[in-house]
Amino acid sequence: MIFSSIPFLYYFLPIVLLVYYAAPKAFKNAVLLFSSLVFYAWGEPRYVFLMMASITASYVTGLLIEKYRGRTLSKLFLIVSVALSLALLGYFKYADFFIANFNAITGFSFPFLKLALPIGISFYTFQLISYSVDVYRGETPAQKNIISLGAYVALFPQLIAGPIVRYSDISRQLTSRTHSFDKAWNGCRSFVIGLAKKVLIANTLGELCASYLQSTQSSLAYGWLYAIAYMLQIYFDFSGYSDMAIGLGKFFGFEFSPNFNYPLISSSITEFWRRWHISLGTWFRDYVYIPLGGNRVKRGRMLFNIFAVWFLTGFWHGAEWNFVIWGLYFGVLLTLEKFFFARYLADHKLLGRLYVMFFVIISFGIFAADSFSSALGNLGAMFGTSGQAVFSAEFAYALRNYGFVLTLAAIGATPLCKKLWLLVRNRAKQRAWLDVLEVLVLAFLLIVVSAYLADGSFNPFLYFRF
Amino acid sequence: MKKIIPVIIMTATLACVSLACWLKPHTTYSQSERRPLASKPELSVSSVVSGDFMAGFEDYTADQFPMRDNFRSLKALFSRYLLGKKDDNGLYSAHGHLSKIEYPANAHMMDHAAERFEYIYNTYLKDSDSKVYLSLIPDKNYFLAKPNGYLAIDYDKFIADFRAKTDYMTYIDIVPLLELDDYYRTDSHWRQEKIADIAHLLAKSMGTDARCDYVTNTLDHPFNGVYLGQSALKSAPDTIKYLTNDILSSSIVNYYDTGAAVQGDMYSMTKAHGKDPYEMFLSGSSPLLEIINPNAASDKELVIFRDSYAGSLAPLLAPAYEKITLVDIRYMQSSFVGNFLSFDSQDVLFLYSTTILNNSMSLR
Repeated sequence: MIFSSIPFLYYFLPIVLLVYYAAPKAFKNAVLLFSSLVFYAWGEPRYVFLMMASITASYVTGLLIEKYRGRTLSKLFLIVSVALSLALLGYFKYADFFIANFNAITGFSFPFLKLALPIGISFYTFQLISYSVDVYRGETPAQKNIISLGAYVALFPQLIAGPIVRYSDISRQLTSRTHSFDKAWNGCRSFVIGLAKKVLIANTLGELCASYLQSTQSSLAYGWLYAIAYMLQIYFDFSGYSDMAIGLGKFFGFEFSPNFNYPLISSSITEFWRRWHISLGTWFRDYVYIPLGGNRVKRGRMLFNIFAVWFLTGFWHGAEWNFVIWGLYFGVLLTLEKFFFARYLADHKLLGRLYVMFFVIISFGIFAADSFSSALGNLGAMFGTSGQAVFSAEFAYALRNYGFVLTLAAIGATPLCKKLWLLVRNRAKQRAWLDVLEVLVLAFLLIVVSAYLADGSFNPFLYFRF
Repeated sequence: MKKIIPVIIMTATLACVSLACWLKPHTTYSQSERRPLASKPELSVSSVVSGDFMAGFEDYTADQFPMRDNFRSLKALFSRYLLGKKDDNGLYSAHGHLSKIEYPANAHMMDHAAERFEYIYNTYLKDSDSKVYLSLIPDKNYFLAKPNGYLAIDYDKFIADFRAKTDYMTYIDIVPLLELDDYYRTDSHWRQEKIADIAHLLAKSMGTDARCDYVTNTLDHPFNGVYLGQSALKSAPDTIKYLTNDILSSSIVNYYDTGAAVQGDMYSMTKAHGKDPYEMFLSGSSPLLEIINPNAASDKELVIFRDSYAGSLAPLLAPAYEKITLVDIRYMQSSFVGNFLSFDSQDVLFLYSTTILNNSMSLR
């Protein structure tokens, strides 16, 4: 099930909210776990058992890690837990990638497994690993209640596309969390804004991207327009989903950390990755980069650490070489910044923003592909390697048709609107009418989104495939 | 404002729409979109395990959404005026007309149509004495799209390419006689009262004369064309006008929808008041029908391989022929045509719109 669907908005969510708030405190986690399993089973009836098995395995190993803390067995159970999680991820997500490359290198022709990717496996696997590692490090006690651990892993607001919530961040909330109208209102605002970002902006930009992929007239301008539209689509799609997840979390008393912080205004790639998919970046930092030694090692080793992290970041996004190249591309840019021009960029913000835009747009030309060769095709379209025209009629129409949405998206990707709103609020003598206006705008957005969904304008979330 | 009030307002909005979704009576058919609406999927272990129930439920809840047509209109207006979109699901309006973008030209589809026509020619016509003609009808984007900045196929090239693939037929060019106002504003089809000159040109090119005086009648029922329902935009309906005279009144129409001949009307008043009033012309879709003109001046016969555009045009050719047979290979396999027709010395006209040729998988 996805948030931007009528079954979720008008069937699942009202029932879950009703049952959740009616349930006694002791049963709230059970309600959340059960509803999350239903939510997951809606899209993946078979794989719900895989997720339950993963939760059970992590629950048992977590208890054992804690029981034998300080002894070799503790480390052994940690290794077992992490290896099990990675093995499942590797089997379901990467098996065919490895088979294809093995066949290509050796000339063998092992058959592909052709497994459907369990939705959200990349996200919940990382959450389970963080749980085991945090318990091993003693940063949090093992969860004794399997329902609470299950509720953490399967929690439907963040189950299938993040943010990657660390156990240590919400372990306390699992047993004791508060519910208030203030929190519910903030959640409501976040959810509706995220829903509008997804349905009204990202899906509309998705239409532009689909038109490009069906185009018959290749042109340089259209290649760049596609990359820009795809970048904005991904941003509004994924950050919209994160907003909805954070908003839904608040309905149920949870506080998730922000996952995006206007990354497209960054003046360096380093800053970009501090603002884009924050939960993934910090996960790799804390569970890969720092354990490898981080930057407190010799330069050669540090370079290895950086490229290992960015190889894995790219690979996490998809089992294709273009994702690996995409990750390493950022690794190269970050290394260059780290060693050569970080200070220059800090002193020249405008130039830095243009530099970030240029290289991030190119990166999404690579990211938009589904293979290395199609990534080269996208880059070729942007740099005219096929000698194509600069403009085309299709480009002109796409610009006319989507120019306003692109402009809205570009403005919406900056904090301008938020700042303006806060400015007006701070200067207003009577804030009551602003509150009324805000409620009306959000109710209107909810109705308009419903109109889009009733019309069948429907696109699955892009980050589901990761 | 205390946050309790906004929360109550948003919760009430969610609850009201949810209740409306749950309690709304089931609707089986969408008049505006001219399609059956999804019904509630069967709930069973196998349908849940296979995911069919969930997929069906998604369709069901979208199709059965309360006040769906109003919501579709809201979406179209929001998309157009607040997001600045020039088209919505490919539909656009310009010069008071609604139309749907037909782009790009699909070479594969064109090849398929040409292959079907060649099959018919080689199987039935090549060794007969029939004279074979082709005439192509551009859809109204030909006149509407480019001048208003919308994407359109290169119609001149499209027609030239198709003629090259069917060079065994004599081409009759009707494009110079057409203009935008010959088409309904809210529908894809042409207006019968505007195409008598087309019928005359076709008949003349086939060596006969279809000139006639007609009485123009106006249907007492508004015509909401196919684009009006699809676009969900508000627009004044079209008016259907149809031509009559003594020759058409005395002609007999035999429909072979079920194999046996059933006599019917040239203009079906039942269909005129039905879901798609354009179907009043020769009762809409039919795999095979004949128009018999007992008062014809000659014994010439015409066979038209056709799509829906011919429904309103064929009656205007009736004065020139003793018998006109209309074959629609969207509803009959080309290989079955020989079971019903034998070709000797008839005129044979392939009359198709560019829309069908560019989306030709329905040609069988």
